[in-house]
Amino acid sequence: MTTDDNQLLSALVDGELRGRELDKALALLSKDQSARECLQRYQISRDAFHGYGTKQQARATQKISAAILLEAKHKPVNVQAVGKTNVISLPVTFWQQSLSLAVAASIGALAVVGVMTQPKIQPVSITPMAALESTQGLDPAEITIAASKAGALPQNLGNRWTVEEQEIEDRLNIYLVDHNEYAGVSDIFSNARVIAYESGQ
Amino acid sequence: MSMDQELVQRVQAGDKRAFDVLIMKYQQRIVHVITGFVHDPIEAQDVAQEAFIKAYRAIPNFRGDSAFYTWLYRIAINTSKNYLTARARRPPTSDVDAADATNTFDAPELKEFETPESNLMRSELEQTIHDAIGELQEDTAMAIKLREFEGMSYEEISESMDCPIGTVRSRIFRAREAIDQRIQQVMTEGEEQ
Repeated sequence: MTTDDNQLLSALVDGELRGRELDKALALLSKDQSARECLQRYQISRDAFHGYGTKQQARATQKISAAILLEAKHKPVNVQAVGKTNVISLPVTFWQQSLSLAVAASIGALAVVGVMTQPKIQPVSITPMAALESTQGLDPAEITIAASKAGALPQNLGNRWTVEEQEIEDRLNIYLVDHNEYAGVSDIFSNARVIAYESGQ
Repeated sequence: MSMDQELVQRVQAGDKRAFDVLIMKYQQRIVHVITGFVHDPIEAQDVAQEAFIKAYRAIPNFRGDSAFYTWLYRIAINTSKNYLTARARRPPTSDVDAADATNTFDAPELKEFETPESNLMRSELEQTIHDAIGELQEDTAMAIKLREFEGMSYEEISESMDCPIGTVRSRIFRAREAIDQRIQQVMTEGEEQ
């Protein structure tokens, strides 16, 4: 080691090195064991000025340095990012509104899930009118019993809003077949149907 | 930016050599502070090691809002308290102020844990330093006194002594070399006894 190197280490102990000089001192310490010992001595001397220095320091430093060597090396960090982190403070009303919105959305989602998981309506079976015709002459109560026995009446009538469109159409068609008169004029109104509510009309 | 801050940035960038310098620089002060808690120099060395390892692990999160030593000091205090709690020993009710621990040796909370041997050693070292400074040339002695006793920076000393910073650096180096030789002699004799 040169005298300049010793002066550099003395200045390092005093915390007076910056930039390139600090790099130079660190490089010197990493490649030259005598530089480490020299720095150690200077540090002990400096500590002695303030009443701290003991000979144990050198051994203890080596022990701690060895322990640090076992630690993982830190990855380079963005010093600027570490230095300051900008935190955007949002007004309290923003959080209140967000919370209200979240509660409303949750209730809405629950309602949708509830509707989707309702039990499906059993299909309404259509009673053939022919089957019911045989009940002519019976009173309404007896007709209902007969229809029920024939499986013609739905077990679960449900409400009117749950009857499917197809069922309505089927029932209407049956009704029309049983009560309509077809137009006799072929080729002109071949598809036309005339509804007759009463026979003979 | 202080040299400590530059060293911390280098450690954060993955340079372990920089942390070695920080260990050397602050080790004795930290051991001294910890001794005030655990009262045993050997245990204090172990706790200091643990504190430095904790500091190394936490250094990526150190933002430099406070001085590095103040941050390290808090880690050392917490490590000491945890150490005592783990051994079912009661930590002291009050901490030593970080500024006291940094600048002087006279924090009363720490002084009460000194042993007669350590007091003797300290007074012997003080006398040795005083004698060594007395043998220096006037300018050299002045430079080291302003540095060590007044805590002036090289720049302030250069202004005060009206000389270039390089000269200040050189004078302090010469003084340190001379004092170091005398201190080493005393410490070696102390170990032999």
